[in-house]
Amino acid sequence: MPFQWQRKLQEDPPKGGSFSYEDGSAPAGLLRLWAHQSLSPKGFVVFVGITAGLLCVPLIPLIGTPVLWGLLPFMLLAITALWWGLKRSWHDRSVSEELRLWSDRIELVRCNPRGPDQVWEANPYWVTVAIHPSKGPVPNYVTLSGNGREVEIGAFLSEDERQDLYADLQDTLRGLR
Amino acid sequence: MADAAVHGHEEHDDRSFFTRWFMSTNHKDIGILYLFVSGFVGFIAVAFTVYMRMELMNPGVQYMCMEGARLTAAAAGECTPNGHLWNVLITGHGILMMFFVVIPALFGGFGNYFMPLQIGAPDMAFPRMNNLSFWLYVAGSSLAIASVFAPGGNDQPGSGVGWVLYPPLSTNEGGMSMDLAIFAVHLSGASSILGAINMITTFLNMRAPGMTLFKVPLFAWSIFVTAWLILLALPVLAGAITMLLTDRNFGTTFFDPQGGGDPVLYQHILWFFGHPEVYIIILPGFGIISHVIATFSRKPIFGYLPMVWALIAIGGLGFVVWAHHMYTVGMSLTQQSYFMLATMVIAVPTGVKIFSWIATMWGGSVEFKTPMLWAFGFLFLFTVGGVTGIVLSQAAVDRYYHDTYYVVAHFHYVMSLGAVFCIFAGIYFYLPKMAGRMIPEWAGKLHFWTMFIGANLTFFPQHFLGRQSMPRRYIDYPEAYAYWNEVSSWGAFLAFASFVFFIVILFRTLMQPMNATENNPWNEHADTLEWTLPSPPPEHTFETLPKQSDWDKGPAH
Repeated sequence: MPFQWQRKLQEDPPKGGSFSYEDGSAPAGLLRLWAHQSLSPKGFVVFVGITAGLLCVPLIPLIGTPVLWGLLPFMLLAITALWWGLKRSWHDRSVSEELRLWSDRIELVRCNPRGPDQVWEANPYWVTVAIHPSKGPVPNYVTLSGNGREVEIGAFLSEDERQDLYADLQDTLRGLR
Repeated sequence: MADAAVHGHEEHDDRSFFTRWFMSTNHKDIGILYLFVSGFVGFIAVAFTVYMRMELMNPGVQYMCMEGARLTAAAAGECTPNGHLWNVLITGHGILMMFFVVIPALFGGFGNYFMPLQIGAPDMAFPRMNNLSFWLYVAGSSLAIASVFAPGGNDQPGSGVGWVLYPPLSTNEGGMSMDLAIFAVHLSGASSILGAINMITTFLNMRAPGMTLFKVPLFAWSIFVTAWLILLALPVLAGAITMLLTDRNFGTTFFDPQGGGDPVLYQHILWFFGHPEVYIIILPGFGIISHVIATFSRKPIFGYLPMVWALIAIGGLGFVVWAHHMYTVGMSLTQQSYFMLATMVIAVPTGVKIFSWIATMWGGSVEFKTPMLWAFGFLFLFTVGGVTGIVLSQAAVDRYYHDTYYVVAHFHYVMSLGAVFCIFAGIYFYLPKMAGRMIPEWAGKLHFWTMFIGANLTFFPQHFLGRQSMPRRYIDYPEAYAYWNEVSSWGAFLAFASFVFFIVILFRTLMQPMNATENNPWNEHADTLEWTLPSPPPEHTFETLPKQSDWDKGPAH
């Protein structure tokens, strides 16, 4: 599931503290959302490893001949290009959002692969969550509104996940009030 | 912050013709471009063969004369045989077919169009690099065709060294034609490697949620394995021909014995690329055939997992059998025994695939729509080619068949017929999806039967010629070979006629209004993601992640 509470809203603040942003305490709730990527770091290692190994096969019989030096650059180029491609794809698709909750502040930060981070903050008491089953750019479009703005959250998730996200957010915000 | 955008979301396509087709970064458009350009280059390469079959129809030389190449029959006076022209044509045919027709059609065309759709990705991982791959391919094709006309060896246009470009023939060929051909292969290699990186990345990182590796449809798998083979094999070729280029132009001696080089080493590295190349050609076809057979047998494919592993095994084994193309260069007995056994082992995964296709049909409700006919044709022809492959794999037998028409018959059965039948199966199967139009059944069936008969008539007699030890790559032959050569030529003309018929019918269909716009014109066993989209699909597809229930149908595909 590409969204996860790093810190769930607790019943009580830590001893002697509060969940107030004003007081400089850590957020009471922290939700991370990220875009789905099907290549795991382990998959990267395995695939690049096997490919590099196989690229060496034609070089073995050439050891000791000048032809090796003619071939080697192309093999290195191939493995570099593969490495670059997979890393670049990870980076290109690495859009993520982080929702931070305090008793007096809600903050949504979106990290874009290219371009600066985008931030929205409001007072959670006034924030409303909405889901637009069909009218948004994606089905089950989830938005947060407050502080005079309506912003999207989790637009990169899948349809079902956004539904779960909506329920989750509603519960959480209700708990905060 | 991404401000919410809640309003009606109309999608309309306002790209101009030039923007859409010349600056395209859309995988579906690039796939279509690949298909058209490879079809065009394929027509040129086929035209070469028709001319060659005209020449071989009768003993003696009637058309390719020193006095000038002729198109009409003999009687126009003196004719001194022009062997160079013949050599140029076989070289051109080989280079074009190997690098610029079949791979671009299956891997570039169908791969680009359908692999991202089948895994539920919105586009390729690197759309602009995809555009670059395509235009590198166009530039390469242009160079390859230019090399046929550029000044070459024997003070004539073109170079006639064979598509394998063996030194010293290729290093000694005069003129610049040879250099153009090498650059053409360079560009094609660069295009394929970039394409392969793109496909691999897309396949690995952009599969829909829940689509683990062993739930990916077989066509997408075949494209992935192909891309991987390209990535492993093409750099070897690029290195080899770069050294050829420096040997030709800068006086290096990588392959020149006079400077300590070894021409046989070139053959080794050429075939280290060349054998995987034939699997690069045929594997995407395997993928298409799997879907066609499953659809028209109304059954899920038999043995999905063995099918995937067979693809991987064929790819892997393809790298360790290369020297069976060169049994006669003087390898030790041990080396030959190894390559012989390794080659025969390939029959195992290939057999797994063939039998799985047959088992898919077993007890199924088989329907002989046009795509299924092509798949049947493929199955038959590929099996014939595979059986002669086992014959040729034996080093001792190869002594007799090497460089005869038996080899020509063998590799045309597996590649020309096998791969080309896959392309046609793919076109008939996917045209409703790509264009919203269905080619009339009668036309498809006529095309199939003329092509099937024509192709068999062309290549089956070449087995006989090979067994009578007629050598390949010659413009002329003794009269004893005349009978089957004439039959073969008639077959080639029939196959060519059916190709022309197909082109006419295809364009007629494309000009007419859409007649197959439902999402899935076949049946519920065409159950991969592309069939959930409208036909033709909109410009942007799977911008949002597909639901697992859309593609995960039961235990296997």
